[in-house]
Amino acid sequence: MVLLCVELRGSGSASAAPICVHGQAGCHFLSLADLFDRVIQHSARMHSISSDLHSEFEQYVLPSRNHIGRINRHCHTATILTPNGKENAQRLAREELTEVILKLLVAWKDPLWQFHQNMVHQDDFNNFSSNKALEMSYMVHELRKGVEKVADKMQHLGMISNTLSGLSSPEALDPSSDTCGESQAMSDHDLLYCFRRDSNKVQNYLKILKCRIVPENGC
Amino acid sequence: MWGEVGGALVLLLLSEVLDCIGISPPGKPVLINCRSPEKETFTCRWDPGFDGGLPTTHHLYYQKEDSYGMYECPDYQAAGSNSCFFNKSHTSIWVNYNITVVAINSLGSTVSDPLEVDVMYIVQPNAPENVTVSVVETEESPHLLVKWEPPHEADTRSGWITLTYQLRVKRQNKKESEWEEYASGKQTQLIIYSLHPGEVYMVQLRCKLDHSLWSEWSTTTHTEVPDYFLKERSIWIVVTVFSAFIILLVTFTLAMKRKYVKHCLLPPVPGPKISGLDTQLLKSGRSEDILSSLINQGFPPTIATKDQQVDYLLVFDSEQVTPDLQNGQTRTNNSIDHGCYDHSLLMEANNKEVKVGGRETVEQGYSEGLESTFRKTKGLSTDVTSHPYPQKKPFNNVTETPKQATVSSKYRSLSHHKDLWDSLARHLDYRETVVKSQSNCDDKHNLSSQNIVTPSKDIGYVEVHRWTKSIGLKVLVPKMDKRQDYSKVSVVENDNVVLLKRETVPLNCTSCKVGGNQSEKCLQQKPCKPNMTVPAKEGVHIGSNGYVEPVTMSHTL
Repeated sequence: MVLLCVELRGSGSASAAPICVHGQAGCHFLSLADLFDRVIQHSARMHSISSDLHSEFEQYVLPSRNHIGRINRHCHTATILTPNGKENAQRLAREELTEVILKLLVAWKDPLWQFHQNMVHQDDFNNFSSNKALEMSYMVHELRKGVEKVADKMQHLGMISNTLSGLSSPEALDPSSDTCGESQAMSDHDLLYCFRRDSNKVQNYLKILKCRIVPENGC
Repeated sequence: MWGEVGGALVLLLLSEVLDCIGISPPGKPVLINCRSPEKETFTCRWDPGFDGGLPTTHHLYYQKEDSYGMYECPDYQAAGSNSCFFNKSHTSIWVNYNITVVAINSLGSTVSDPLEVDVMYIVQPNAPENVTVSVVETEESPHLLVKWEPPHEADTRSGWITLTYQLRVKRQNKKESEWEEYASGKQTQLIIYSLHPGEVYMVQLRCKLDHSLWSEWSTTTHTEVPDYFLKERSIWIVVTVFSAFIILLVTFTLAMKRKYVKHCLLPPVPGPKISGLDTQLLKSGRSEDILSSLINQGFPPTIATKDQQVDYLLVFDSEQVTPDLQNGQTRTNNSIDHGCYDHSLLMEANNKEVKVGGRETVEQGYSEGLESTFRKTKGLSTDVTSHPYPQKKPFNNVTETPKQATVSSKYRSLSHHKDLWDSLARHLDYRETVVKSQSNCDDKHNLSSQNIVTPSKDIGYVEVHRWTKSIGLKVLVPKMDKRQDYSKVSVVENDNVVLLKRETVPLNCTSCKVGGNQSEKCLQQKPCKPNMTVPAKEGVHIGSNGYVEPVTMSHTL
């Protein structure tokens, strides 16, 4: 627990790696469309894993826990305002949409890590599921870095304004800095349910963003 | 208390009466499912259930996760009966809907079980539209090009929906054929290969969102593949079979005529034919026999001993002449005038024609370079000199046209030899004839009794004419019948002297010596014993068979 909090506060200083914009020597130039494609693929994979885990949980673990009925689910990311439809998402500005994505990704990094840690110590899940949980938490971290790179590139290209500069610090994005305690309140089932939904949101938002910014291929 | 009891009794009676009539509150409706075709709207459908005999209305109520309050279905009509259609404004993605249906009639209402729906997970697109199948005919093989479009309500341009497609194909005519499924990904066209000509193919398509449910299969599209290219293939098959047949025929013929073909293609190489070389003897491998057969019987050449009686003719070369011969060479173009005797006539007389003619000059034709001189030989002497005998014109031309010719000085030099007549007269090849003289010719010429040597018709022979006053002209002519072949060499003395010998049928070695009669000579061609020979001169050698060998040989075998 203590380690988790320390890690949370200490990981904010990571800076994004520089992107070569103009094809500098020794640097492989990636277009924005390529970056978007990579990020979207990553998010699709993340959502797929989360769906598998959720269905496994409902199939094997939930009956054994004798959950009757439905507990009023409350995702810890409910405080983040996310567009709930296509028009809503299209109405958002690019910067805002990017910000929403990053907020979501930041919010899920620690809970997923916690979830994985819990899984290791419990007997409910098999090793395959615990591997998936670990991969999921890792992918969230990677996806966040990727989206940050995309945002940087968009800023370089002048497609979005520079209002995202303050997104690197997790304290600013976190709805509450006291995530160490709050993430524990969520049950495993709710966590999986919420994460499945949020990963789907991220995937869809990225697609909309891509087709709005670089609509050449695949839109 | 009595009132409550009375009320309960009345209700009981009422329900019993109603049951007898057949009406009741409605049965419980069942929500079947809710579906969203494009992730922007959705429709819920229910099963009304038993209506209880009375007109029953159904109402759908929903509750959203993030808001409080119960809302009723905004549209009961758009999707048909017993359905509720939520349009875009009423649809929220990633929000849980709690939906219930209530059936109400005059007797009561019944609530269905709730259904929790997140639009995200109830998406099922419609089938792809505008499916076109065309047969593309290429050189190698034809193929089907299938093109389609996504359902019109799906918004793929904004990236909101990403569809993946699936296609399946089946041959219509073939019984029990299975559908072959092909995944197309996000592309809206697909090419199908490996077609059977003349078949009718059925094509169907479906699609789905990322993790949603598959759509229904589209309507079947039928396409017929023409079978014209089968004929092209059959032509090739016929050609192949025909050529294979031809090749077989040719191979069979060649196999039958193996030997002939082999003789034609690989003509036999003539082997070496070495006289005395016996291949069978070689194969036997006995070295003594081989060597003895290889080595010629007469080789190395031997020189006959002195006690053999051989007659020889000496021939001199023109360059190397004795001084007295040289002096006689000054006069050319002179003719020997033997008076009244015609030498040409004499020569003709040898041919069994005797003519006596007048005075005529001797006109002879001499071949160039022919000079000969005679020397009396008796037995074998190794110090004879000989010359090579080059001859460039045959002597037979002499009798044809008598013309002015040069009497070779060599012949005249020969004629000076005093023993010439005698030696030649004793020679078996020569005979003596006499030509009667004419009286009127005696005084005119200073005829000496010298020998006149003229070349004879026969190659290698000369004729000698001598005028004897008392007798007349005596002529030594070669015998035609006993002409001998003097082509073999006995001894090579110098560079310009060759001793020729005659080749005759070899006589018995021991019975050759006949006593006394000098006219008969025992001529031995070959020595009886093959002896060792010493090479006469370096560079030339005379083999035992009489021919000149140009290489020095070792002495012993």
